[in-house]
Amino acid sequence: MIDTEVLGQFAPEILLLAGTLLLFVLDRAGALRRELFGAVALAAILGAGAIVLADLGVGFLAPLRGIGAAVVDQPVGASALYGFSSLGLLFQGIFLLAAFLVALAAVSRPSDEPGAAVFYGLLLLATLGMMLVAVAADLIFLLLALEITAIASYLLVASPRRDPRALEAAMKFYIIGALSAALSFFGASLLYGAYGTTSLRVVGHSLPAGAYGDLAIAGFGFLLAGLAFEVTLVPFHMWAVDVYDGAPTEVSAFLAGGTKKAGFFALFLVFVGPLLLVLAPGTGPAGTFRGSLDLTVALLAVATMTVGNVLALFQSEMKRLLAYSSISQAGYMLLGVAVATAPALAGATFQIFAHVLLKAGAFLVVAAAAGLGVGPLVSDWKGFGIRRPALGVAFGLFLLGLAGIPLTVGFFSKFVLFSAVVEARGWFVWLAVAGVLNSALSVFYYGRILRTMYMETPPAGSGGAGVGARSSLAWDGLGYGRAAAIGIAAVLVVALGIDPGPLLTAFQSAATHFLTFGA
Amino acid sequence: MTDAFTTAGFLALSGALLALGLFGILTRRNFILLLVSIEIAVNAAVLNFVYFAAFAPTTAEALNGQSAAIVIVALAATEIAVGLAIVLGLNRLRGSIDVTGATDLRL
Amino acid sequence: MNLVDIAFLLLAAAAVGTALLALLVRELVHTILWVAGFFVVLAALYFLAEATFLGVLQLGVYAGAVTILLLFGVMVTRRSIFRRDAATGIGPTSVALAALVVLLLGAVAWRFGGTGAAGVTAYAPAQLSQALFGTYGPWLLLVGLAMLAALAGAIYLVREGRE
Repeated sequence: MIDTEVLGQFAPEILLLAGTLLLFVLDRAGALRRELFGAVALAAILGAGAIVLADLGVGFLAPLRGIGAAVVDQPVGASALYGFSSLGLLFQGIFLLAAFLVALAAVSRPSDEPGAAVFYGLLLLATLGMMLVAVAADLIFLLLALEITAIASYLLVASPRRDPRALEAAMKFYIIGALSAALSFFGASLLYGAYGTTSLRVVGHSLPAGAYGDLAIAGFGFLLAGLAFEVTLVPFHMWAVDVYDGAPTEVSAFLAGGTKKAGFFALFLVFVGPLLLVLAPGTGPAGTFRGSLDLTVALLAVATMTVGNVLALFQSEMKRLLAYSSISQAGYMLLGVAVATAPALAGATFQIFAHVLLKAGAFLVVAAAAGLGVGPLVSDWKGFGIRRPALGVAFGLFLLGLAGIPLTVGFFSKFVLFSAVVEARGWFVWLAVAGVLNSALSVFYYGRILRTMYMETPPAGSGGAGVGARSSLAWDGLGYGRAAAIGIAAVLVVALGIDPGPLLTAFQSAATHFLTFGA
Repeated sequence: MTDAFTTAGFLALSGALLALGLFGILTRRNFILLLVSIEIAVNAAVLNFVYFAAFAPTTAEALNGQSAAIVIVALAATEIAVGLAIVLGLNRLRGSIDVTGATDLRL
Repeated sequence: MNLVDIAFLLLAAAAVGTALLALLVRELVHTILWVAGFFVVLAALYFLAEATFLGVLQLGVYAGAVTILLLFGVMVTRRSIFRRDAATGIGPTSVALAALVVLLLGAVAWRFGGTGAAGVTAYAPAQLSQALFGTYGPWLLLVGLAMLAALAGAIYLVREGRE
């Protein structure tokens, strides 16, 4: 029998699914305008977002409160497959923000491009998968939810089906994704063997004795490798650059800003959560395991941020440069897993939130610039900031935010994260040092783009950036969807860069709850 | 080794199958062979679930593992269908399904 | 060493052998044949573990549907289906990685020694279906959502659209 209480708890997800089905039906109804499909998707996303925010206790949405997850941060039993934590709900909000920006910007894609309904339907399904990741309390539930997102994103990358580059990117993404899924499921099978259950309320709470302990360690290792592909950790990162480069730019924004973050929440669930915390570092096999896990993740984090940054220095194409920068940012976020204290987790969540705005925003500016006739190379952007002042300022803000310059949200997120890492003391301090050094390094390539945009003039006769092809779109060739998405992201970057207070408080209290949730 | 039908026995088998799958994914360049390699790796995980369930001490535990095996089989079949759709789309555009066309897949 | 052990050893050897042949033979159609054999051997291994329903499912989904899908893929994407398809050289990294996995799992397996053969119980399909559609119902819902995404996207990708 259908339980109305459960339906209420999953109201945001059901809304997204209803939107998807409506889009698939409309797709068969004949030639409709792209804007209509966009409006359906945006309505579903905004509705889901309102319910999630109401559950998080945002005042003016209080009347919606009863609809959603009634019980937040209550421990669930070992047989439960899902449970609602406030950190999970915050992540749902982050996922919906990424989906909102991308859905809004995608309205401005060429109106004669086919498959708009399928594009929006898959976008909603991918978001739905991520929302389910955020409530998982069971390994198989978690991996299946990740797979929904993965399958929808392979097809999103392939959505310009007449473009061989996009299909090649989709093929590469698919192979890596399937490999990652196979490794994750193998890890899950070993953990099931070791603990006798797939529940995340049991797995990781202790280390079984004898041979089963070895089995559990091997299981965690395979699971870490599988998820490392998902969140582009070095040495499992090589696919990301080609995929972000070949995919439609809006989809790249969604992959970097959205789906990757679901992988991070999966890492939090398995490797931080209430789970491995129970294994205090120290003596005995469990303590040794915890210590070596911390060290492994820390090494992965430092390798990821360094390799990403160094390779970004040498890129001459804009999308590839942003892709490498995205890899290096994953290294910072992983510090939250390596350190695994409540403040570090809050810092990593804040960094993830800031990265959604900054990286999605930057990719969307690149999409807008391509629509204005700017080429793929960084050198094609000469004089862009002068010819298109508003767009130039927004791009500048996103880049400064990624570099962590004050007055942007990127500064506070890095500040909170690194100070939490320093607070954890011990050898963790060196992680903060590595992070700060890497941030300094990243200023070089972000600064180089800014210099190209503002200080260099385009070669005479070429016309230069932004005056090549006149686009027929509204708002001076930009398109109102893109303009609105970029504008919203830029305003949030500055507003939260001046006063991140309420958001930070929410992250900190959610992280504290998360570490005790269900333990 | 005295007995083969044991935890040690099937772990060795599933480990060998996973290794074969990984080896195939890293060395083959034809998309169909890549799909086959991925299936071999996924089946290693399914084998683990089935055998851990078979040796499980309680009914609840056994049913947990068997159910997991069933949904993974269903999901893997879905994945194959998606992979073939991408390949057919690409084949229509390019007439070749070598992964080493314009790009190189290295790990 | 009893009859079950011998059967398991033979089937395990057959599984590894068919998988290896599937990856190493030159012709793609032969690959499909060997991989079909591999799926059948796995089904036999599931029957040996008294997981009857899983065995039948394996035969239906893998040996049946997936094999046909793969064969279909080969036939559509190759004009001459028996064309020789040169495999690239065996990369040292991948061999090392595969060896690492074997060593790792081998070491874990070794720690178990001869334990675990205590007894295998058969479960009635009714019990399994109650667990699958009851306790683990949400898993099936998630698989359904994944299938929805796959179906919609795959149809869009391959249909000759009105453009």
